[in-house]
Amino acid sequence: MRRAYTVVRGEEMSGRVRMAENCAQLLARIEGRRSLKDMDQHIFPVNGGPAQGDVIEFHGVEGSGKTEMLYHLLSRCILPTHCGGLEVEAFFVDTDYHFDMLRLVSILEARLTSSPLESEMEEVVRSSLRRLSVLHCSSSVQLLLTLHYLEGILCSRPALCLLVIDSISSFYWIDRANGGDSLVRQEANLRKCTEILDRLRRDYGVVVFATTHAVMRNYSSSSTASGPAEPSRSTPSWKCSSDFDKQYLCRAWQKLLTHRLLFSKSDHSSVSEDHKQLFSVASNTVRTKGVHRCVFYVTEAGVQFSE
Amino acid sequence: MVLLREGLCPGLSEDLVKALREEDVRTVEDLVLSDPEQLAQKCSVSYKALVAVRRVLLAQHAAFPVSGADLYDELLSSTSILSTGIASMDNLLDSGLYTGEITELCGGPGTGKTQTCFSVAVNVAHELKQKVMYIDTNGGLSAARLLQMLQQKTVNTAEQMNALQRISVLRVFDVFALLSCLQSLRASGLQKGDVGGSVKAVIVDSVSAVLSHMLGGKQNEGMSLMMQVATELKVIAKDFNVAVLVTNHVTRDGNNQVKAGLGQSWSHVPRTRILLQRVERPGASSNLRTAALLKSSRQPCYMMEEFDLSPQSQGESWPGFAGKRKLDTDS
Repeated sequence: MRRAYTVVRGEEMSGRVRMAENCAQLLARIEGRRSLKDMDQHIFPVNGGPAQGDVIEFHGVEGSGKTEMLYHLLSRCILPTHCGGLEVEAFFVDTDYHFDMLRLVSILEARLTSSPLESEMEEVVRSSLRRLSVLHCSSSVQLLLTLHYLEGILCSRPALCLLVIDSISSFYWIDRANGGDSLVRQEANLRKCTEILDRLRRDYGVVVFATTHAVMRNYSSSSTASGPAEPSRSTPSWKCSSDFDKQYLCRAWQKLLTHRLLFSKSDHSSVSEDHKQLFSVASNTVRTKGVHRCVFYVTEAGVQFSE
Repeated sequence: MVLLREGLCPGLSEDLVKALREEDVRTVEDLVLSDPEQLAQKCSVSYKALVAVRRVLLAQHAAFPVSGADLYDELLSSTSILSTGIASMDNLLDSGLYTGEITELCGGPGTGKTQTCFSVAVNVAHELKQKVMYIDTNGGLSAARLLQMLQQKTVNTAEQMNALQRISVLRVFDVFALLSCLQSLRASGLQKGDVGGSVKAVIVDSVSAVLSHMLGGKQNEGMSLMMQVATELKVIAKDFNVAVLVTNHVTRDGNNQVKAGLGQSWSHVPRTRILLQRVERPGASSNLRTAALLKSSRQPCYMMEEFDLSPQSQGESWPGFAGKRKLDTDS
């Protein structure tokens, strides 16, 4: 039935009725995309999980576990329901060119250990991977065009619930230098991307995860004020890199966010004998007060939360 | 930025391009961002044609979504792991350099960065019979040393010469030359030279030599150039499925801890990062180095291995070798 409606869309849609939505959009809206609210109770506080149309920023320095956490959440989304997943489709826009498919597969396989048969496991992994689409973008203009292109795809795929952008800040320096002296021009591309993302989340209820590299030092933060020579052991492990938490992307992007996850890694010196490095994530949401923190470490099987 | 011109896609006629230009719609980006309904009215062109053109242009210029299952199949068939020729280094890297990724070696002067690059080049050219693109930015490449390494592997002169032929050397000494070199490599699809085998490894020794002096101060150009180099390297690694190996210098942070150079923005670029250091143990051979894994998505970080820079030459000494390594200074 859905197919019949979508065929009509191409010919019938005319410009006369301004706010009219086409049938595919209508269907996607009425059927509703699956909620991702109970995606992960460790990172997101109670009742603070990603609702439809939420935009969540993953912010952290290099090697603080952002991408690893994305794999963790992504595998939860694309696994079938009988294997503890949510069975939804996801798009992964890779602007950093470091999406590691082999890593994702090993995480998926580790989650399927209960499955008795090897062949059965492989089939589940393949069917899960079919729910994921990967796109590589090498410039901010291409990212912008890709997001517009996704709009067309979104309305015909109601199962598509999650859009991951890793990372939204990768063209920051190139855009800045291309914009000359005017701040408006420097931020133009990201602002346009933000506008289309806003439309995607509002009209289609898709959840957006985007990572940003922490590259700007926050000189006003208290940790730098106390002097860089201060021994790092006296500060709690999650605060080690807090001087890199400055938000430097354009204001439009900051306004779009509903959640902000701050990632940090424990200091080199505090790594235990068994090479278990601890990472921590502090999550802020617009809906709940206070900061929710949790600590995790990374194993062969992906992210493990320590209680 | 792609300008709209006739023949860019079916349906984009000269008249349509002209009509759009009058409304200041000049690039693909402008057309995609504009509201097709308003634009059709203003330019008095067919709405249907405009929507069709917009759709085709989007499909042409946006990134193409690849199903995860297809990507996995492709990866399984095309990924190869290139041994570095140094056993303990392979150990750290989970058996070698992976194609499609950027691996970085960082370390102070004389810690064996260039020697490791030579070892990778020789190993890929000789053992795997594949081509290597060696981009030398600091004049550290020594053909004599490459030959010396090859002589340890084989006594057959013809084989040695064949292996040397598979190593193409490009000498660039500033960031602009490096960028245009990478762009032309990308445009030509890495097709260079006429010896058999495809390019499997691109080595840049060193990126910091051309980049570090561009950074600093309040200006953005240096950062922009650095990220452009990074993007080119990443695209080359991914699109042509080659292993990219770069070298970087080191600095010290506030706590006097050694850290890799080029700052935070660059730190996101390499997928794997190895720190090379001298062994400061009394009685240790001057050729002994430690390699520590600073970043990896496969192995636990801070793993450490020791290796000898001249593994095949136990007991022998290389009078010219230590002097040559002195040339390998950064920036």
